[in-house]
Amino acid sequence: MEPQALENAALAAAGAATSVEEIENVRVEFLGRKSELKLALREVRDRETGMALNALRERLEDAIDAREAELERAELDRRLTDERVDVTMPGTPIRRGHLHLITQIRREVEDIFLGLGYTVIDGREVETTRYNFDALNFPPGHPTRSPLQTLFLDDETVLRTETSPSQIRTMESQEPPVYIVTLGRVYRRDTPDATHTPTFHQVECLAVDEGITLGDLEGTLDYLLKALFGEERRSKFVTHHFPFTEPSVEALVSCHICDGPGCPVCRHSGWIEVGGSGMVDPNLFEFVGYDPERYTGFAFGWGLERIAVLRHGIPDLRELWRNDPRLLGQF
Amino acid sequence: MRAPLSWLREYVTVDATVAEIADRLFTSSVQVDAVIDVGVPDVDGNVGRFLVGRVLEIEAHPNADRLRVCQVDVGEGHARQIVCGAWNFEEGATVAVALPGAFLPIFDQPLDERELRGQASRGMILAEDEVGLGEDHAGIMVLPEGPEPGTPLVDLLPIRDQVLDVTPTVNRVDLLSMVGLARDVAALLGGDFHPPDPADPEVVDGEAVDITVENFEGCPRYIGRVFRDVSIGPSPQWLRSRLFLAEMRAISNVVDVTNYAMHVWGSPLHAFDRAKLAGGRIVVRRARSGEELRTLDGTLRRLDPDDLLITDGEKAVALAAIMGGEDSEVTEETTDVLLEAANFEPLGILRTSERLALRTAGSNRWEKGVDPCVAENAAVLASRVLVDLAGARMTGHVDVNDGLPERPVVPFRPERAAKVIGVDISPDEQRTTLSGFGFDVSDDWHVTVPTWRARDVTREVDLIEEVARPVLDRLPYTMPLRRHVQGRLDKEQRLRRVVEDTLVGAGLSEAYTWSLVADDPDPRAIRLRNPMSSEQAILRTTILPGLIEAARIGVDAGAEQVALFEIARVYLPSGDRLPDEHWRVAAIVMGGYGEIKGVAETLYSALGLELRVERGSHRVLHPGKAATAEAGCLGELYPSLLEGVWGVFELDLETLFAGVPERIVYEDVITYPAVLQDIAVAVDEDVEVGALVDAAQEAAGTLLREARVFDVYRGGQVGAGRKSVAIHLAFQSPERTLTEEEATTARERIVAALAERFSAELRA
Repeated sequence: MEPQALENAALAAAGAATSVEEIENVRVEFLGRKSELKLALREVRDRETGMALNALRERLEDAIDAREAELERAELDRRLTDERVDVTMPGTPIRRGHLHLITQIRREVEDIFLGLGYTVIDGREVETTRYNFDALNFPPGHPTRSPLQTLFLDDETVLRTETSPSQIRTMESQEPPVYIVTLGRVYRRDTPDATHTPTFHQVECLAVDEGITLGDLEGTLDYLLKALFGEERRSKFVTHHFPFTEPSVEALVSCHICDGPGCPVCRHSGWIEVGGSGMVDPNLFEFVGYDPERYTGFAFGWGLERIAVLRHGIPDLRELWRNDPRLLGQF
Repeated sequence: MRAPLSWLREYVTVDATVAEIADRLFTSSVQVDAVIDVGVPDVDGNVGRFLVGRVLEIEAHPNADRLRVCQVDVGEGHARQIVCGAWNFEEGATVAVALPGAFLPIFDQPLDERELRGQASRGMILAEDEVGLGEDHAGIMVLPEGPEPGTPLVDLLPIRDQVLDVTPTVNRVDLLSMVGLARDVAALLGGDFHPPDPADPEVVDGEAVDITVENFEGCPRYIGRVFRDVSIGPSPQWLRSRLFLAEMRAISNVVDVTNYAMHVWGSPLHAFDRAKLAGGRIVVRRARSGEELRTLDGTLRRLDPDDLLITDGEKAVALAAIMGGEDSEVTEETTDVLLEAANFEPLGILRTSERLALRTAGSNRWEKGVDPCVAENAAVLASRVLVDLAGARMTGHVDVNDGLPERPVVPFRPERAAKVIGVDISPDEQRTTLSGFGFDVSDDWHVTVPTWRARDVTREVDLIEEVARPVLDRLPYTMPLRRHVQGRLDKEQRLRRVVEDTLVGAGLSEAYTWSLVADDPDPRAIRLRNPMSSEQAILRTTILPGLIEAARIGVDAGAEQVALFEIARVYLPSGDRLPDEHWRVAAIVMGGYGEIKGVAETLYSALGLELRVERGSHRVLHPGKAATAEAGCLGELYPSLLEGVWGVFELDLETLFAGVPERIVYEDVITYPAVLQDIAVAVDEDVEVGALVDAAQEAAGTLLREARVFDVYRGGQVGAGRKSVAIHLAFQSPERTLTEEEATTARERIVAALAERFSAELRA
């Protein structure tokens, strides 16, 4: 074909191409290895014809590239205009795991105390009566010593009724200062109902050092309560009685539901009892060989389930042991 | 315990509202469960519409047989006509009257003047239930003569009151009394404390009282008093009302008096019909084996030699400290009364009342350890009221005891108290506090403990608590100094969190299942001696059964995917007193072997470990799909245990964590690219791919960075009983770029080794 006619035909074909695919066909037809132009170039002998044909090839390449770019742009525009999803369609499901609510609370409490410089101690669940009762100053005849309230393996072995035996074991194994928390399962012969399960979880805290005061206990618990229930909460401490502490106090937190006036959650008092605490009874120090004149300390033991009930509104503690995915998945 | 405020204020004069009193008590003395409003509504002037009246005339109602028309003087200078349906009073009776406009607790509307069957009625003569002072509606309240008509009724009766409902801690049995509460209120709020101090009645026509205590250990004190010419009858309204507000039933004047004195002083009393005691005697002793007693509630109690009995020398007449016997009960015919004001030691009482599951207002106090000294206060008060109300003569009195306990004297350092409490409390303030609570403080700070606190307060630290009680809400919130602390988890605790997080990340949810189970595969598993139920009787040695149950609940709940794990302890018999408590992690996922192995591999990888297993067997696993790893077992769940196909594992965390590297050291896998080559070899069906990979690794040496099986193909040209295993090989050196030749040489060594050891034919 005569070069001008070839050029005209190629430009016309490029102009007529309506898709990236068609323009590729045009490229193959006019510039491919078996195209008329390529064949002519292969056969060219004189320099002048060669230069002219090469110039023609470049012009055709530019034209086809330009047309291709134009078509690509048009195609992208069309995709952007035509393609739509219903953005409210759900995503592809990915199996999600959940930590148990009590584990979440356990970690939260651990982290609060780690931040304060405390060490986390695991403790044992099966304990001797010596550690579970005697060392903790439970008087003979105390109801908790009764097989009505405590699970016994034999006369001298029980399932721990509180996390406190770990206090004794820790103090026996090291000199003060002691700053520890223990979290874990405890066992009591409580008939299961909405507010009791025979196994539940406690957090136990013990601080022993020179100069520890009741004010330190209140300050620490106030910090913990605010961390768990919100900065705007207030705390209050009232007298109580426990074998292992003297003085003993019960911690209360201002009701996070009504914030004062009274509601069913706080039994119309504006305050919610959270748990027992106090200054370590000197008898415990004597048991482990600490000097009660030199050292003082505080301790508290709270139920993690109670925190779950108060903060998350769990209506029935037994549900925390059923592992219904509909409950596990909420947290 | 219920403490009506009007009653409390008889023993303490204090300028404080009920809210202030409740708040101070709650902080410093006793849990206040509620403050209950009782009686007539406290709306504008309502209490003033209740007056004392005197019935001047009574006439039959002309139109109604059951009504009477009364003319009542309520101090207005003229009589008021009131129609009344009660018949238990006559002309001249002193009665309680509500005027029109009065709100009564039982009606929504105020009382109005109206006609009853044609007769005007301008008020109401009141029964006790109509003003919240009792439950009786058989007749109206007939008041004692004395108060002038028109006297406000509230001056005589607590028609408008607040009742504190309090629960003292076990060490404060002294607060199970009106006197004890009044004392603390006075000390805490700066009030004036004046406990009842009636004149003890004179003994007239004195006679001996025959009391023998055989067991002073169980009964350290027994005050016995004899009353003759007792006229049994209902108690006067003031006493009935007080008992009602204190949640006790009025029964008869004699019984009511014992309950009244108990409530005032906290020391329970008992009244016997003396005529029913053989020889009028009392002998206190332990029960004999097999002895029986029918208690007041009509139940025949079989007794134990540990139980303490009141007898008359011939037969049991009361279960000491817990409940009287039916046979010696005071009845309408009683004329002679033996009043018991004793003291009983707590532990035996607690044991007996627990064994018999019989708790009474008395046992509730005794089991906490009542002060033996207050028996006398209670005896005097009861005697006084008995003589005054029942027209009785006190004819005998005896106090049998083995010596009353000494009051402890405790040296005290006020500066130590301030230091422990953490606030500056002056010695003067501490002295005032202790004195207010009944402690005697000497000039040199020797503190003599009052008898009612002698069991509880024996050490300086106990006194520090007394000083702290009033200031609990005044302490500055401080933090311990913490000069030496280490706020971090130990390795095992950190790794447990890694396990939790990895499994959650792999889509498993954490379950909590009971440590106590109905049965356990290990016959040596530890059994509880006193389980609550057979369902929770054994300490488990494996977690999986609980987790399988949890998975079943998930399926039943309709979950499409169930994937659970638990980290908990198992309790393995150790031969010692205490079992070995081992942390385990167990998991269960819907899907087969590959699914659970993938979870396990992810877990191992997160710990920097490689999971290596060999064929194994386990009770809960499919025998053909069971594997053993160093830390435990893994496989497909035995099909009949749970419908569907499930994968499970249970691993010992200590074993698992033992292999976790302290730290991961950088390895250069980037600078020099890997040479990738795949091979496929045909081997006999029973050759495990793990063995092929191990052999490849061994043959190739350090240049082989990774060998991973990515396909197993059976059939076609592979031939029966054979399978083709495709292995992805990555050769890499951290020091240089490997040549194709080096890789190919290594590959050929692998092929040769596989051929030699497993008769593997190279297919590609």
